[in-house]
Amino acid sequence: MPQGTHTVEVPLDIQTIWNFVHDMNNWAPLVPGYIEHEILSERQSTWAFKGDLGFMKKTVKLQIDIKEWNEPSEVTFDLKGMSDNFKGGGYFRAEAIDEKTTKMSGHLDITAGGMMGAMVNQILTKFVPQTAEELTEAIVAKLLEINLVK
Amino acid sequence: MSNTMTTHWDKEVDVIVLGTGGAALTAAVAAAESGSKVLVLEKTHQIGGTTAFSGGVPWIPLNHYMKEQGFEDNREDVINFIKRLALDRAEDHMIETFVDKGHEVIKFLHDHTPVRFVSPKSYPEYYARMDEALKHGTRSLDPAPFNLNEIGEWGELVRQNPIFPPLTLEEGGAVGGIDFQVVAERMQNNTVTMGRALIASLFKACLDRGVETLIETAGKELVMGEDGQVVGVIAETKDEEIFRFAARKGVILASGGFEWNKQLVKAFLKAEFTHPVTPPGNEGDALMMAMKAGAALENMSEAWWYPAMVDPTFEYEDNVMAQLGSGRQGPNSIVVNKYGRRFVHEGTTYNDMPRAFFNYDPVKVEFPNEGPNWMIFDQQLKDSQLIVTMSPGEPAPEWVDQADSIRELAEKIGVDPAGLEDEIRKWNEYCEQGVDPDFHRGTIQFEALTSGGGSPANNLGKIEKGPFYALPIYLGALGTNGGPKINENGQVVNFKGEPIKGLYAAGNASGNPLGPIYPSAGGTIGPAMVFGFLAGQHAVNS
Repeated sequence: MPQGTHTVEVPLDIQTIWNFVHDMNNWAPLVPGYIEHEILSERQSTWAFKGDLGFMKKTVKLQIDIKEWNEPSEVTFDLKGMSDNFKGGGYFRAEAIDEKTTKMSGHLDITAGGMMGAMVNQILTKFVPQTAEELTEAIVAKLLEINLVK
Repeated sequence: MSNTMTTHWDKEVDVIVLGTGGAALTAAVAAAESGSKVLVLEKTHQIGGTTAFSGGVPWIPLNHYMKEQGFEDNREDVINFIKRLALDRAEDHMIETFVDKGHEVIKFLHDHTPVRFVSPKSYPEYYARMDEALKHGTRSLDPAPFNLNEIGEWGELVRQNPIFPPLTLEEGGAVGGIDFQVVAERMQNNTVTMGRALIASLFKACLDRGVETLIETAGKELVMGEDGQVVGVIAETKDEEIFRFAARKGVILASGGFEWNKQLVKAFLKAEFTHPVTPPGNEGDALMMAMKAGAALENMSEAWWYPAMVDPTFEYEDNVMAQLGSGRQGPNSIVVNKYGRRFVHEGTTYNDMPRAFFNYDPVKVEFPNEGPNWMIFDQQLKDSQLIVTMSPGEPAPEWVDQADSIRELAEKIGVDPAGLEDEIRKWNEYCEQGVDPDFHRGTIQFEALTSGGGSPANNLGKIEKGPFYALPIYLGALGTNGGPKINENGQVVNFKGEPIKGLYAAGNASGNPLGPIYPSAGGTIGPAMVFGFLAGQHAVNS
């Protein structure tokens, strides 16, 4: 199963991070290759992004279903392809190291099914961890930007 | 005047080759074999050109691999076959040179380089049912799988092939069932097939001979000596740095066709094709340099045509990726124009089928088939075949038009509903009768290439089970094949038929020496490699 987890120490308190992460509108545009997203309900949204697979780019539409909001430390979600045979999930976790520092982890797993599944999963083996890392880093950068940490 | 003599050279070599496709690398191997110093310039950031993007199959008559498989071939038969397809548009001596030298080139590569092929047992000739054609076996050669680790860091630079999975022809890489598990394993261990295997093995042969390759360095202008001889190349890097390279023995233009240059396409081709199935670097650089040098041109209105299909969710180097598609030969489908009318045998070869796009109606004063044309099919075909990227059993993606009735589908795609309904009624009657009197579906080899050839059972199936689907088919090409005219040594000739000293061309950068033919799989790369080799050899020996 193609998956990746990326962890970063952020010089911000856990509540600041939660305030940002709990609203998907804040970080959806930070998904690498972001095109658009639409919030359908408190727990459901659709996302379109263009994934850079290295040798080509693929536009994918996903449905994201939030499984759990555990304030202030965890958001978990499921995902599935709307026109491609993908499914998977992920999470953001925040763990306070001290009052001013938080360990933040982003995790993503995506598995392709169907006739081409084996081949697509081979491609995703590199793509998924890279995306998890880029997204987590982008969120951290945004958090630092808006909280004026230089 | 661009063709100016220069007194300062940044580097001096014996032979400069522009491009890194099959023609280019074969030329480089041939030139370097005698110890000559060879410099290869590649415009893009990847090596392999159009060949890497392709099946990598050369069509080579009388080759030793087919003999080893027990397939008989005959010089006279091959020549007659090529002449039959060329329709008097190729010169006999060029056909004979290709036939006589091609198998020698392949034998040389086998004996002296890591380039290896297999003669595929179950992949017939496209025109196998023509009287003049080879009936048993094939002249097409399938590159053996090659591990990219063998060329070290260059392996990363072999152009990616988003068209073909890493399978051989016999394994279904081009036609037939694909074992995606094998594909995954090959991807994991860096083993490539088809065009990438041919390029990587040829490149290994270049490395073994000390050939130097510069990527992201485009040949921009030929440097001419006072006597009209080509003596070097002015090249430009992606950072716009200019270099002057001297070529003591010759410059070989092998940097692809001009299908991505809209101006040249408009100037030379019969129609403006919209969907080249090639890398975007093929912008006619070689053609323009040859024209400046006074080259005669030939075969200019031709291309390796392809009816391209598109899954718009894929992009290759910032362009929506035209794909080879599949399903058009299958039952339960037809191809229609904007009037909802069939206009061609849907299952003819990919090079032949789009020629019907150019038909002119002098009464309506229009090209009725200039497109977009549509492949119309039903749920039965959808359930049984991979169509573009749609797998059987999975819901149709949103980019495929579908409807519960033919009329509704026609209205959705802007095709005349009455025409389409009538055409499908007629098609279904033909299927009941087991014969297609309009276009003769079910009669030629190519439409069921690896499953016994065309037949009513293989190719005539009613369009009757909804939902019904429509996919646009665009005019595409695997490259252009018109360009500077060459002789039997691969030398570019002028309008008097005299060689332009020091200038050679091969592959899609030259006019196809066999004229407007595509004899079978590898009709593109076969002549490219052969005349590339002859050019490389002649440059260093003359």
